[in-house]
Amino acid sequence: MTLTNTRRQFLQSAAVLAGAVAWPASLPRLAFAPAQAAPRGDTLVVIFLRGAADTLNIVVPHGEAAYYARRPTLGIPRPDDTQAAAKLRTIDLDGFFGLHPNLAPLLPAWQAGHLAPIHACGAPDESRSHFRAMELMERGVDDERGPASGWIGRHLATLNTGNHSPLRAVGVGQLPQRSLSGAVPVSALRSIADFHLGGDAAAVSQMQAALTALYAGGEALSVIGQETLEILDTLQALDPLGYTPAHAARYPDSEFGLGLRQVAMLIKAEVGLEVAAIDVGGWDTHFAQGGSEGQMAGLLADLGKGLAAFHADLFDYADRLTVVAMSEFGRRVQENGSLGTDHGHGSLMLLMGGNVVGGKVGGQWPGLEPEQLVGPGDLAVTTDYRDVLAEVCLKRLNNPAMGDIFPGYAATTRGFLKSRT
Amino acid sequence: MPATTRLTRRDFLRLAGLVSASAVVAACAPAYDRLGGPAEPSLTGPYPLSDTVTFAVLNRLTYGPRLAERERAAEIGLADWIEEQLAPEKIDNGPADWRLRQFDTLTMSASDLADRSSKLFDEVDRQSVPNELRQATLLRQVYSRRQLYEAMAEFWTDHFNISVNKGDCYFLKTVDDRDVVRPHALGSFHDLLWASAHSPAMLTYLDNQANNKEAPNENYAREIMELHTLSVQGWYTQKDVMELARAFTGWTVKEHFWRGQFTFDAAQHDNEPKMVLGLALQGDGQREAERALDLLAGHPSAASFIAAKLARRFLGASAPAAIIETARAAFANSQGDIKAVLRPILFDGLLGAGTQLAPKFKRPVNFVVSALRQLDIETDPGPALHEYLQKMGQAYFAWPTPDGYPDRDEPWTGNLLPRWQFALALVRGEIKGAAGAVPAAAGGAPETMADELSTRLLGRPMPATGRDDLLKTLRAAGAPAEEVPAILAAGLLASPAFQWR
Repeated sequence: MTLTNTRRQFLQSAAVLAGAVAWPASLPRLAFAPAQAAPRGDTLVVIFLRGAADTLNIVVPHGEAAYYARRPTLGIPRPDDTQAAAKLRTIDLDGFFGLHPNLAPLLPAWQAGHLAPIHACGAPDESRSHFRAMELMERGVDDERGPASGWIGRHLATLNTGNHSPLRAVGVGQLPQRSLSGAVPVSALRSIADFHLGGDAAAVSQMQAALTALYAGGEALSVIGQETLEILDTLQALDPLGYTPAHAARYPDSEFGLGLRQVAMLIKAEVGLEVAAIDVGGWDTHFAQGGSEGQMAGLLADLGKGLAAFHADLFDYADRLTVVAMSEFGRRVQENGSLGTDHGHGSLMLLMGGNVVGGKVGGQWPGLEPEQLVGPGDLAVTTDYRDVLAEVCLKRLNNPAMGDIFPGYAATTRGFLKSRT
Repeated sequence: MPATTRLTRRDFLRLAGLVSASAVVAACAPAYDRLGGPAEPSLTGPYPLSDTVTFAVLNRLTYGPRLAERERAAEIGLADWIEEQLAPEKIDNGPADWRLRQFDTLTMSASDLADRSSKLFDEVDRQSVPNELRQATLLRQVYSRRQLYEAMAEFWTDHFNISVNKGDCYFLKTVDDRDVVRPHALGSFHDLLWASAHSPAMLTYLDNQANNKEAPNENYAREIMELHTLSVQGWYTQKDVMELARAFTGWTVKEHFWRGQFTFDAAQHDNEPKMVLGLALQGDGQREAERALDLLAGHPSAASFIAAKLARRFLGASAPAAIIETARAAFANSQGDIKAVLRPILFDGLLGAGTQLAPKFKRPVNFVVSALRQLDIETDPGPALHEYLQKMGQAYFAWPTPDGYPDRDEPWTGNLLPRWQFALALVRGEIKGAAGAVPAAAGGAPETMADELSTRLLGRPMPATGRDDLLKTLRAAGAPAEEVPAILAAGLLASPAFQWR
């Protein structure tokens, strides 16, 4: 490609000039020495529900009397509760668990065996602090000690897939995710449609050439600038506004919907995307959470429609795609006095893809009776979140470097996913 | 704001002229050569040049030093300049004050702000009031001579973060900014915390307006300990959170008459005994949580937490432990006098670091405001600039979670493209409400113009050989002399060097 060649030439000539500059040793440089090589596995999409989602109202334990006793106003009515309108009832999955009614769009994925909710997941941390919990979870560690980088960053850094695309890891959200931080530069994309400098083709190439030279140095920021320029090159070939999802999939008109749509476009364009991280905020529902309808129900409608569209759009790619949705912890079983819920402990992880062991609710359900709860009345954790992520890395991403990805933790695989064949 | 930055072919040819010279620009970046050894001898320019230490210190304490500020600091010395900034009430602030008069919502009561926002047929305008606050904030950062004071207002805005996108915060934040953050930004931490706890915006943002005796809401009680005072390592327990939440029951916000005012609803207060961090509370109504505030504001964990966080703000992630310890002791010995905590950080930490001061990545607000200030570009300061800030990731009062915008470099370094778009649009006069030609020495020699721009933006002129190569390249690309400054400015604003402070 002429453009790229031109830019490379500039890079080379600029590097000659930059070579005269003694970069101070204290500025970070990239250290990239993957421990092992393997062909790349699935594309992984990690969706983080920020604010501690009330997972008991996402996959509802409608078979638990204690659930309804502790949630007199927020509980989602039983599937057979004729006192509630049909559209407000839990959608039964297996006689004990069911989906929030606004997650109805996920039923096709469930029926295809492509959806695997895992209940009572979480971390050992019991601080009930969003920020501590998110940080530890994104770093994949138990406490302040251990690497500052994120678990996804370390996965990418420890596996040489022969893929050197600047779009190997992409973060969609207000700021790049901590989980992505590490040895591989990470691209922050808010909108592909806005990822250009504009103007006619000659103008763009001149401008990119100028920036290429400005960012020709060897320190971290220059490398990020070089990555940004490469992405500009790559995305020039795409037409984000003209993208048509497959199988008549319809993404919701929301930040989340837009984010998933862009990830789908990148996957199909085969630009080297290995991991995408997407944030969805607004789950800290201390106040006026609502039940079948209301604040959280609105978030779930967006989540359900988005995931369903992504599943349909990428149905032909399902064998090469794994989606994980997670949150930093769950919420108190007992609803509070402001029609909301306070910080709890055990949460839920949602796996979606062609190789999840789907069509059933996984994990070990600890129950909601008083003696089964932990702390101030919270769902216990029976599956460490790292067991799930480790299984994804091992079975779907071809990366066995567990000691690097989750240092100090001995992960157990529990059969939530199928191995690559 | 145009969705794209359009450049003519001719412009691009000129910009391309930067190519061969840009590595030289990177080489003279102050952030790097502060670490890399003694500075180049200054070239003769139209303005008296500060040495690089002065520029670096001012760059850390202001939103991008204007030439007048550099002259003043050079004249009286950095230590005296900081002393001046620590007494902002003595600094005449006419230029900012008269510009602020255009915003009448800044002085309105909460209920008047609510009225202002309500429209016919129960429609509510949730944008106009917060937009005025955003504009006023940008305007103060650009024009105020009390730069350290504005930097501290930003620090506490992050520390006691409130998003205008939650509930009634869209108008209550204006009151919080005026009555909580700004009066106490350089005052007493106790009074600041006290004002914040009684702030309707904070009580709304963290759900305490719904905290009642039947079933307490823990949100505010947790965050006031974790994020405002003790830190997550601060030795409190889940039990302390629940007990403090009960002490805060009944702290709420009026809804109808006197909408948006703080009120204590005794009927919703839990009168049973509670124990918060060893402090027994009972039967004391509103005073119970206020006694807890006294305890939290003076707690040793708060002294450590606030001292370390302030040190990181001004000295970066590698703030020396000894400086943090001195600042912590100053907090403890002064009952949380914010100026007393700042003194060791600024005088020992910042001035003591000299050329060893580690660079800090500019957050978007600092990047945008420093471009406007250092190029002396006038701003109104309208919506277009705020759209750029949003794309860069730092719209004012819009961080959703209570931890405030991050103060580390890493979250910000990955999003360069909007900064490049901004740099080009700004120098081309395409940003509405940020007009004005890029300054240049009128009719001066090209060498003088290049020196002036580099001096303004990066602290000192480029080395003479690099500058001459650059100008030669621009001439070869056919750039007319009168447009050279704009082309240079775009490149310098977009350069790696200008992203650091």
